[in-house]
This record gives sequence, C-alpha cells and structure tokens, in this order.
Amino acid sequence: MINIEQIRQLIEMMVTHDLVEISLRNGSEEVSLRRPTAVNASSHLPVAMHTLASTGNGPSALSGEAVATESDKRPEERLVEITSPMVGTFYAAPDADSPPFVEVGSTIQLGSVVCILEAMKVFNEIKSEVAGTIERILVRNAQTVEYGQPLFLVRPS
Amino acid sequence: MFRRILIANRGEIALRVLRACHEMNIEAVCVFSEEDRGASYLELADRTVCIGGPPPRDSYLRSDRIIAAAEVTGADAIHPGYGFLAENAAFADKCRACNIAFIGPPSEAMRQLGDKAAARALAQRLKVPTIPGTDGVIDDDNELLRAATQMGFPVMIKAAAGGGGRGMRIVPEKTDLVPALKQARQEAQAAFNNGAVYLEKFLERPRHVEVQIVGDHRGNLVHLNERDCSVQRRYQKLIEESPSPAIDSRTRKALCAAAIRLAKAAGYNNAGTVEFLVDHKSRFYFIEVNTRIQVEHPVTEMVTGIDLIKAQIRVAAEEPLDFTQRTVAGSGHAIECRINAEDPDQKFRPCAGTIARFRPPGGPGVRVDTFAHDGWRISPHYDSLVAKLIVHKPTREEAIRTMQRCLDEFIIEPIHTTLPFQRKLIGHPDFAAGHVDTGFVERSAMQNATVE
Repeated sequence: MINIEQIRQLIEMMVTHDLVEISLRNGSEEVSLRRPTAVNASSHLPVAMHTLASTGNGPSALSGEAVATESDKRPEERLVEITSPMVGTFYAAPDADSPPFVEVGSTIQLGSVVCILEAMKVFNEIKSEVAGTIERILVRNAQTVEYGQPLFLVRPS
Repeated sequence: MFRRILIANRGEIALRVLRACHEMNIEAVCVFSEEDRGASYLELADRTVCIGGPPPRDSYLRSDRIIAAAEVTGADAIHPGYGFLAENAAFADKCRACNIAFIGPPSEAMRQLGDKAAARALAQRLKVPTIPGTDGVIDDDNELLRAATQMGFPVMIKAAAGGGGRGMRIVPEKTDLVPALKQARQEAQAAFNNGAVYLEKFLERPRHVEVQIVGDHRGNLVHLNERDCSVQRRYQKLIEESPSPAIDSRTRKALCAAAIRLAKAAGYNNAGTVEFLVDHKSRFYFIEVNTRIQVEHPVTEMVTGIDLIKAQIRVAAEEPLDFTQRTVAGSGHAIECRINAEDPDQKFRPCAGTIARFRPPGGPGVRVDTFAHDGWRISPHYDSLVAKLIVHKPTREEAIRTMQRCLDEFIIEPIHTTLPFQRKLIGHPDFAAGHVDTGFVERSAMQNATVE
C-alpha cells in the first residue's frame, strides 16, 4: 500500500532532481504528484526527466513519465544526450504503421536515424552523432520539442 | 482578434509587446536563445520556446525555427519587434504563406521603402525633397561644377566605392571645387582602387527629425507628429524628444504631410517612421523610411497617449485604428534617454558583465522600458541597450529637469553605462537651448577630451 512516507520521499526526490511530475502505481493504487516550477508555469514543453531512486518498498509500477532504476548513483555523466536541433513535433516512427526507429535497448551507429522532427509539414530525419545503446527515450510520440531539448539518453559504446 | 502572438525578439521590446498582448487578453509566446534562458521577462510569457544558440544567426534570425515555434504553439500572429527580422520582407512573406499574420506593413511596401535608392526615387517622383546630389557618378569636371552650382554650395564630394570619410571632401565655395575633386579622386583611388566620385549637398549642422506614421487596412493613414533624434553618436541615437524644439509649425505641417504622401504612395499600413534631415533654414530632406516599430516609439506614445504596439496588433488583425488624424493631439513634451552598457571613457566600448544593482528611477511622468534587473547578465551577443528612460511633462524645461533628476537617481552597478554621459548631454546648455544638431555629441565628446 502506498503510504505517506513513500509520498514524502517522492516529494523530496522531485525537489532534489527538479522533476515536474511523477506518477506512482502500485496494483490498483495510483499517486500522481505535480510540482509547479517557473519553467512549468510558463511552458507546456516538458523538461527532461532524470533517474530516480527506488523507494525500496517492494515492486511498484511507475507510469510512462519516469523510469525507476536501481539507485540514483548511476553516473548520468556517462550517458550522452541526443538533443533537438530544431523546433517541431517528435515522431518516434517513420509513419503510423511502422515500428519506431529505436526503442530502449536499441543499438545505434553514427548516423542512425533515431526519430523524425516535423515542422511546417517538412519531416526531418534526425541522425545520431554517437554510437551506442538507447538508454532512455525522453519524449513522447507527437510531443512538441524546442531547440536543445534532450530527446534520447545514449550509453556510448 | 488574435488569440496568441509569438514575439520574435528579445529583451525590452519583447517585454513591451508581451505587455500589450496581455492588456488585450492575447496570449504571448516568447522565443528565446540559450543565452536568454532564465531571463525574468520570459516568466511572464504564456509559452516559451527555445529556438537556438546565442548568436542571432543561430536563433533570432532563424526564420524557420521561429515559424515552427509559431506552428507548434498555435500562434496566429508574429510580432517581429525591431531589428532582427523586423524589416525582412522574405520573412513576412513566409509568415503569411503559413497563415500566420505578420504584425507589420505589407511586404511590397517593405521592399519598396526598405530599398534606399527606390525610396529616394519614389520621394523624388512625389516632389518630396531629397538631399540634392548627382544621382550617379560624373567624371566631367565642368558638369560637376554645373551640378554643384545648381545644388548650392557648400557641397560634399563622396567616393562612389566606399565610405569611412575616405575620398570625402567638403567644398565651401565654387573656387575650391576643382582642386578638391582632384584630391578626393586620388584618395578614393588609393583607398578603394576606384577614383569615381559623386556630389551631394552638404548640410551644415542638420537636425534629424522623423515622423511616426501608422495606417490601417481601410486607408486611414495617420501621422503622430515628429521626434527629434539629433543627439546621436556615429548614427546611433542617444536622446530623442517630441516635439522637436527646432522646427516651427509650418515646417512640422510640411514634414508630416510629406511623410503621409510617401507612405500612401507605397501602399503602407501598420507602423513606420519617415526620417528627414532639417537644415538651419528649416529646409527638410527625405532620408529613408523605417518599416517597423522603432526603439524610440515611447516618446510618441507619451505625447499622444496612443499605444503604438496595440495599434500595430489591431491593424494586423484588420481592425480599424481607433483614432483619426483629427483626433490625434499632442500634449506636453517627452524626452527619452537610451542607457547602454558602454563605457563612454573607453570610446563607448560595449561592456558585458552582470548587473548587481539595478535601481531605476520613478515618479510622475517617468517611464522606464527595460528587462534588466539585479543579477541580469549583459550578453556580448546582442545590442548594448539596457534601459530606455522616458519622461513626459507639460513643458520641455520641466521634462529636462525631471530627466536630470531621473538620471541622477538611476543606479546600474557595477558595469559601465552611458548614464554619466547622458547626464552631461542633458545638462549641456546647447541641449537646454534646443540648439543641437547631429554633430553635437562628437563636439561635446571632444570637448570632454580636451578638458582632461
């Protein structure tokens, strides 16, 4: 059962890692926390998510917003960000019927197409500048992205 | 009326447009470069979109990213501010092609008036006086003599291939012309490998006087009187005021009528400014048109009580102006001082750095247009304007006195700014007497230097 202590820890975690939103689901229970920040209040473009510490209270399923990992001691510095070079809409797949270009765990090379960014009806294939494994996908399909916004975290090979 | 306007600019003009939007219940989307991330004015925006890196060519000049930002945020209009893409007709075209209103004049009018030569030709066709000159290069000395005599001495010889004072000579009298031509040609040849020269009438101690115009889609084209911007340094305006202390009502009428005639002929609407030089005999000469809202627009707003940004937005939304030429009335006197992050003692070298203490002045009739605050970092990538200080009082004398008080109150530390220099200019007897021309600042700066 989700308890107050867990919620308190989630809140602390949100502040420490400057997170905007966390959803925690455990069986039939769900807790959603949303934290207003200066950025959040003025933009509907979500900021990048960081890794979370596990609450250590047994298995809990989080919603697609954030991914739980073993500990928050995994060095983020080893991961490389692929950031958006433009303003547009993120598409994970070449079209509605195709599978996404990459998934978590996919291996990519230099020049691999990782997504499409669309602006003004022009579809731009975004190519990776790093070879490695997709560690995390930071944006959702059809989400608006701005210049410099992190799209993927890659573990370089 | 628009639901959401994207402001394709930064700093004080972005904040100015944002304020007008919010007063009209229109949402404001602000784009920003990574250099401007965290600027406090962005917190007032309804949406913000990062459009690139610090250099303008990677952000504020990226029309593709700006239009994409309008698209993804659902903005139905773009206000370009001043500078950057404000007078870029191709950008205006792109916006309109994407069904996004461009808050500015029609592209065709922008093109025609933005091209200095075309604008000058239009002015001549309309019998609006332009600076007399030999339109084009003339090699024959006798012809040049004839042209100079017709223009009236003194004349200026200018190199066709370049500027910077090289190949330039002021010729006071007829007898000086031929030897001066020889020297000028030699100098031009040496400097630009091209000895071709042309002539222009030399205006002694001219004043820079400009007319604010604004028009809607129904052909209601109105002038909002003039601004005197003679206090400038290297063609950068430092102080602007309205009304001009140097022109009489006859000249004012003629200037404003000429401005309207020109704008009408070019099919102009929205806001713009027609610039003239006025000589010591009150003869005026058309220089150019600025097809955008200008930095010094607050001066006109204070005197007329008209919000020019709101007028721009209304016109772009194809609403009529809510005033006519008959209902426009100027009241009192307004002066604006531009405060730049520059060091007057080091040849106005721009200063980057962080403002630790920012304390703007206040009181009745005082307006400060700025985005700066404690902790604001001046970027080397953008212009050095920190704040515009505007005062509005019933008389020019009171306005000057209030401006002096405000300049004394204004604290911007620890960076160097032009505040001390502005204090000297405002306190200068020539300025108080209204006897300034475009050479005033250079002369007073030189006086400062020799006093030391």
